[in-house]
Amino acid sequence: MGLEQFKNRNVGTQNYKVLDLEMPPITAMEKFKQVVSRTFKPELFAGLGVTLREMINALFRGKMHTTQYPFEKLPISPRYRAIHEMLRLLESGHYRCIGCGLCEKICISNCISMDTRYDENQRKEVTEYTINFGRCIFCGYCAEVCPELAIVHGGRYETASEQRASFSLFEDMLTPIDKLNLQQEYQGFGAISSNADENIKKTPLAY
Amino acid sequence: MVDATMLPEVTAAGVIIKAILILAVIAGLAGFGTYIERKILAFMQRRLGPMHVGPHGVLQLAADGIKLFTKEDIIPQHANKIIFAIAPIITAATAFIALAAVPVFPDFTIPFIDVYVPSIASDINVGILFVLGMMAAGLYGPLLAGMAQSNKWGIIGSARTAIQFLSYEVVTGLSILAPIMMVGSLSFVDFNNYQADGALWLVVYQPVAFVLFLIAGFAETNRTPFDLLEHEAEIISGYVTEYSGMRWGLFFIGEYANMITIGIIASVVFLGGYNDFWFIPGWIMIIGKIAFSFFFMLWVRASWPHVRPDQLMWLCWKVLMPLAVINILITGLVMMIV
Amino acid sequence: MSEVKTAENMISIKIDGQEYKAKEGEYILNAARANDIFIPAICYLTRCSPTLACRICLVEADGKQVYSCNAKVKEGMEITTSTSNILEERKAIMEVYDVNHPLQCGVCDQSGACELQNYTLELGIDSQSYTIADTKRETTNWSSILHYDAGLCIVCERCTTVCKDMIGDAAIKTTKRGGATLDKGLKVTMPKDAYAMWNKLQKSVIAPSNGTGETDCSDCGECIAVCPVGALVSRDFQYSSNAWDLKRIPATCAHCSSGCQIYYETKPTSIENRDEKIFRVTNEWNYVSLCGAGRFGYDFENRDAVKDESTFKNAIEAFKKAKVINFNSTITNEEALMLQTLKEKLGVKLINREAKAFQRFLNAYTQASGNSLYTTDFKEIMQSDFVMSVGSSLRNDNPNARYAFNNVQKMNKGAGLYFHPVGDTLIPTFGKTIEMFTHKVGQEELALLLIIKLFADADKLPSSVKDQLDANLVELLGGDSAKFEKSFEKMMKKKTSFSLMIGEDLYFHERAENIAKLIAVLEASSSVNVAMIPPKTNSLGVALICDLDSEASGYTIGYNESGDFRLSALGDGDLDMPAMNQQEGTLTNMHKRVTPTNAALEYHGYELNDIMREVVSAPKHTIDWTAHLPTAKGFKAVEFDTLPNGYTNDGQENRGYLLETTSKEVKEITVEKFSEGSELEGEIAYRCNPQRQFNDFSDKSHQIFEGFGLYASPAKAETLGKRVEVAFENGSLTLDVIVDDRMEGDIVAVPDFKSAENVYELFGESRYKTVTIREV
Repeated sequence: MGLEQFKNRNVGTQNYKVLDLEMPPITAMEKFKQVVSRTFKPELFAGLGVTLREMINALFRGKMHTTQYPFEKLPISPRYRAIHEMLRLLESGHYRCIGCGLCEKICISNCISMDTRYDENQRKEVTEYTINFGRCIFCGYCAEVCPELAIVHGGRYETASEQRASFSLFEDMLTPIDKLNLQQEYQGFGAISSNADENIKKTPLAY
Repeated sequence: MVDATMLPEVTAAGVIIKAILILAVIAGLAGFGTYIERKILAFMQRRLGPMHVGPHGVLQLAADGIKLFTKEDIIPQHANKIIFAIAPIITAATAFIALAAVPVFPDFTIPFIDVYVPSIASDINVGILFVLGMMAAGLYGPLLAGMAQSNKWGIIGSARTAIQFLSYEVVTGLSILAPIMMVGSLSFVDFNNYQADGALWLVVYQPVAFVLFLIAGFAETNRTPFDLLEHEAEIISGYVTEYSGMRWGLFFIGEYANMITIGIIASVVFLGGYNDFWFIPGWIMIIGKIAFSFFFMLWVRASWPHVRPDQLMWLCWKVLMPLAVINILITGLVMMIV
Repeated sequence: MSEVKTAENMISIKIDGQEYKAKEGEYILNAARANDIFIPAICYLTRCSPTLACRICLVEADGKQVYSCNAKVKEGMEITTSTSNILEERKAIMEVYDVNHPLQCGVCDQSGACELQNYTLELGIDSQSYTIADTKRETTNWSSILHYDAGLCIVCERCTTVCKDMIGDAAIKTTKRGGATLDKGLKVTMPKDAYAMWNKLQKSVIAPSNGTGETDCSDCGECIAVCPVGALVSRDFQYSSNAWDLKRIPATCAHCSSGCQIYYETKPTSIENRDEKIFRVTNEWNYVSLCGAGRFGYDFENRDAVKDESTFKNAIEAFKKAKVINFNSTITNEEALMLQTLKEKLGVKLINREAKAFQRFLNAYTQASGNSLYTTDFKEIMQSDFVMSVGSSLRNDNPNARYAFNNVQKMNKGAGLYFHPVGDTLIPTFGKTIEMFTHKVGQEELALLLIIKLFADADKLPSSVKDQLDANLVELLGGDSAKFEKSFEKMMKKKTSFSLMIGEDLYFHERAENIAKLIAVLEASSSVNVAMIPPKTNSLGVALICDLDSEASGYTIGYNESGDFRLSALGDGDLDMPAMNQQEGTLTNMHKRVTPTNAALEYHGYELNDIMREVVSAPKHTIDWTAHLPTAKGFKAVEFDTLPNGYTNDGQENRGYLLETTSKEVKEITVEKFSEGSELEGEIAYRCNPQRQFNDFSDKSHQIFEGFGLYASPAKAETLGKRVEVAFENGSLTLDVIVDDRMEGDIVAVPDFKSAENVYELFGESRYKTVTIREV
């Protein structure tokens, strides 16, 4: 695309349309004529007709526009980036998060924090993980930086809470274990690019 | 035609019951009117309107009532406190007093205690004058309210009240003069009886007067397209800017009561009153007519823009009043000739 | 002083074409570092011997490839830090290190501070050319502190090196791993050094050197500090935080008089509790080595202190009627100055037992020698090649002194003489030329006389000393004179600098003043440098600042000590005080250095300065006192905020400031004659803390496990039983018997780290007491 259209800064030559407006009446006779014509033209009744038609559309033809929001929700794009979800491994059902803390580090609004510990299986256990949704700006860095595709953005977009500091706890975000079969791989910002394989350097894998 | 002398005696008890009935029903209807208004306007914009309080939001009225009653009653520091307090009462009171001379429901007798409740609380022979007078007196409500509250929007609101009400009283009076000439009485009952027994409605004889009366009625009740007194886009809330809670509510009860009154007058004077129509009983007819005129006001509000104060004045003095005068002249001539 | 670069020992070298100055005899790597030039190196530790494990520090010197950690600079040497061949070697080495290194950076504790990560990125390793079958390497716990993940280990041997060369425990070593052998063809195709490194790496892994699964060491955790990867981690810290989440607060360790530079690393405790908590302590391990107390004894803060006005009022009342203030040396210089101010303005008596003894000794020394302070410090002792110790249980009293003693043996091919009544099995393992005298209690003067005899110029000796040298001192001290003569000859080979460290036994000696004179005589008549180990954390500072009293009675305020009204940083007193990790201020350490320490944790209660402001006038902050420390005693009028706390690249200590010392001419010293028969006989108790325990604060820390008990050698413990009552002249203690494998002989040790037990009262003016012990 060329830049010509941006470089033309002469506003006056742009394609403005002049509306076909009547000249306002000046003499008394002209004014009287305007009143008479306006009075007896059915303009006013056309207006009444429009509103009545829309009411009938809404009531009887199923064209009501209102979405009763808390009870009804509009479908959102699968790429929508709202409240985070913590995914599980599909095979074992164990949460994917390894507690590396990269999301905590990269978070520009400083709203992620986690507690980890050394557990009985010699693994790093994530004992608690919270996101302060009062501060989160949904920039998506956490999802992008996550090496395990463990934290992703989901479709829940309600961040209102009864408390000023509303946190979301690990269990709240984690895929419920009984819904593991419904867990979908993330396609949004932060997901593996489609040509990820090509970007990997080949190294010997004899063992 | 029903002979008045055949009716049972009107007792004080009957009148009191009637008064209470009017007060309760009309006040309730006025409140309910807000719900209807919100609902109708919503439908016309393909919205749902109030939905959450009660089934389809019918209890919204109760919620609003509770809200209005429990809100803090604020009187501005520099307001004229007495007048500020009285103004809403004037509006509401005059609206209800006007209804005293209007036939609201058909008459009936309460069984067992044998108390006759008339259709009019007070069937005075100058009913129409009384009603128009009371409604005109109602203009003191907004006028005083706007001037008492020490607020520039209020002042503008009351100035607009003065020009609007004063102007349109003239048109109301003149427009209704032609039907009065035809009926020859100022009693609503006589108007009703004039159109009884299959007689044509007065609107057929007096279409111009009916249109003028309706236009003036919009102005009287302060409805779009003549809601200059409190037009939000221009003067915040006009004369009610400083009002809150139940005082504010009184203005609106008054406004909606006035809407009903205008509906009743229009129905009785021009649209055949509470006479049976074909096979439809009279009480259904009158309710239907009042309901339609109420709906019409909302419909107009949903459809039309409001006018500027100068346009309002121009329309009143230069168009409507001459038309009304001409209408009276023609009516008089026709009556003389026929 | 060695810190000053004199023109004589500086030579000029060229690095990458640029001319630089370097100390003669220095390794190329250190010379480059001192001049801010980067040469990659993984296995080398400053102050320790080169390991040559990583081989990544290859440079070209005068056209020849050498290891910069191992080759010394020469006048006019031309060094190239990187050639294409060297780069190829380095890349190959890093690739080899990355072979089979677990890809668990996400959970690894070292991630972000990992040298393997850093050098892999630095050298741009983005692919792998080599493979080999992996062997299973187990994760083990070496002790209650140490956690070793062999899978992550790159066998750079820094841990074994520091344990041997610096700490002296030599508790870990490389052992066979049993990994797959390399393809012989690689010898031809691979860069030479990378192959050699890999060949060694593939065969070895680190393990406790005693052959068991547990290390036999002093749990100092220095191996954790030096580990470049996440292989060695403290069990408490593991997986609890990422390195980058921790805020580093430079401070001075408050446990002993070494006053080591440490970083308290803090972060909010948890998601629920956002109060800062110390997660670990780290150090500049190239320049300072910590002990177990410094590294693991960090959570002694006074947590729940609040400002309660009524108790504060009580405190003010108590100060107004106080006659005595009883305190110990775990306070800052500023607080010491406050107490001295109280003495001057209110006339209270100041009681501090350990500092008083040290002060008395210092005064006697100053009077005899004319020097305002002892003349040498422990940095210089580390540079010497003959080191001696008298009157200190090195292992327990001061870890840094012990490290110095060990380091001299290892790095300077040094020799050592160790005089102490309590036998020790560790000291002789430091080096081959160490002679130990386990003399009788009370023979400390004889030890000094022996040293004078060995090193002093006889002509310079005063007659009062000369007279005493004729006796067979070696035999008197319990040695074999013929054997000693032979071994001493061996010890003296190629030795040029001599140093002596003296400890608390001498300050708490009946004839302390006479001993001080002997020290003065030794210094005046020989080239032996003498350094003193102050008994407790800030004893030197307190001794210099406060005018201490020996006896006092009346209404007593105890500051971390017993008293009628108790101020306590432990949280158990009448009024809370901030612990050392909660306050700013300066400490005077045994290196004669006034070092700043910062508050790592919040403190919500009252400070001593608040009381000062009520009782007498005082500035707003505690640190406002810093500039008013007595300049007559060597302190400088410097604001606290201007004090640095760190090290420069060439290892120079840039912390606070050194005390000014003065010396003046004195007349000849007259030393009293040593009287035989003053030795203690019978069952003897020695007031001495176990390793890693110094005071109530180290005891409060959750990772310090050494208990309050009777420490005895294994043989002695067997005769004592499980629990004993130790009866002193003026009281008794009932203690559990704890075996200390490294003790020898019959003397038992009674710790003094719990001030509530009043051990000082039992021992009085001496560190040794005859006691009767019976099993209960």
